[in-house]
Amino acid sequence: MGLATFLERTWSGITGLVRPRSAASLFRLADQYRHEGRYEDAAELITEGLRISPNIAVGHLLDAYLHVVFREMPAARASFRRVLALDPYHPRALFGLARIALEEGDIEGCRPFLDRAIQYFPDFPEAKALQEMVATWTAPAAASVSTAIGTISAERLRLPPGARDLVLTHTDGTLVFAQGGEERQKQLALHMTQVYRIASATLARAGLGALRRGVVEGASETTFLRSDGGVILGVTLAREVEVGAGLVQVGRLWTDLNIKV
Amino acid sequence: MADPQPPVDSTPPGGSSVPRPSSRAQAFRETLFELIRLDGVRGGLIVTPDGLVITSELPPRFPVEALAALAATLGRELELGSSRLERGAFRTALFSADDGTVFVGGSPVGYVTLVADRNVNNEGVRTALGRAVDRLRGSWRTP
Repeated sequence: MGLATFLERTWSGITGLVRPRSAASLFRLADQYRHEGRYEDAAELITEGLRISPNIAVGHLLDAYLHVVFREMPAARASFRRVLALDPYHPRALFGLARIALEEGDIEGCRPFLDRAIQYFPDFPEAKALQEMVATWTAPAAASVSTAIGTISAERLRLPPGARDLVLTHTDGTLVFAQGGEERQKQLALHMTQVYRIASATLARAGLGALRRGVVEGASETTFLRSDGGVILGVTLAREVEVGAGLVQVGRLWTDLNIKV
Repeated sequence: MADPQPPVDSTPPGGSSVPRPSSRAQAFRETLFELIRLDGVRGGLIVTPDGLVITSELPPRFPVEALAALAATLGRELELGSSRLERGAFRTALFSADDGTVFVGGSPVGYVTLVADRNVNNEGVRTALGRAVDRLRGSWRTP
């Protein structure tokens, strides 16, 4: 490196240190950090950028994204709304609000955000994927496979030791049978249906076909599910139960419940 | 109506910046590479809860953006359900269909999603995914 180049770089470095950074440059760097998973560093830059320029939509959008990453949904919603206050057609903010509505189970609230995002920006594959998924939830039932469920006799069920949260629902969310109190049953049916619907959409989008079996492992328990002919059966067992063994158990319960597709 | 913006508008005007390698980003990539080398795994991606694809290794025919949006939505539902139903923090899930299986691993960083063959070793992939999720939890604590 020549002396002139060295001096130029040194001078540039010194002036770079003393020159205040613009909000745009802070947001640009924050977005880069976000892509690298450096969320804490990104959050500091966004706070600083919004202090300098509080009316830049992209700053609030990045702020919203980080709140979502930190699972701070009320704050994320507020930031997405700030973006829309500055730019009412911002597709990413509309999409962000749609996703928050969706995870709150507010399907009707989710739909207009997705519709607006796609209306203004038709080439938006993420929004289209969710829009198509949600559309199937409220579409009139097509001529589906008929499924007969016998009278459920709790005594006949061969429940494995430690099994709990046995739940049988239709894929539209209608509860057929569940263990536990009324509130627990409601929560089980809602969650089971949502998991089934979103997992089905994911499998379909990957070109893999209809959902047949599922295993959801939590830190303390594992839930096994089976689906066919418009019904979903789920049961929760100890966490250590292996995939194969758990699916055998749920298959046995399917037989005990006398479900005929 | 405001001027149209591309949906992926999180970068302010002035051009995009060149990402620098960081330990956490490197950990994401290494984690995914390790998992997609397992027998029967066709590919996968890591997506943050807001739907940003951190890294993706899917065959060309897979619609990455759509899958990322669905994976993030599924991951959040699994996370919320585990918490509401008091089953402990969500770790892993698998969903099998006639032509393949999707695995999802949950971590504070985001969701690891794998697309695999139907006859993949479910227990083997789930165990490997569980270990990967634990590593991602570690990288969340130590950036």
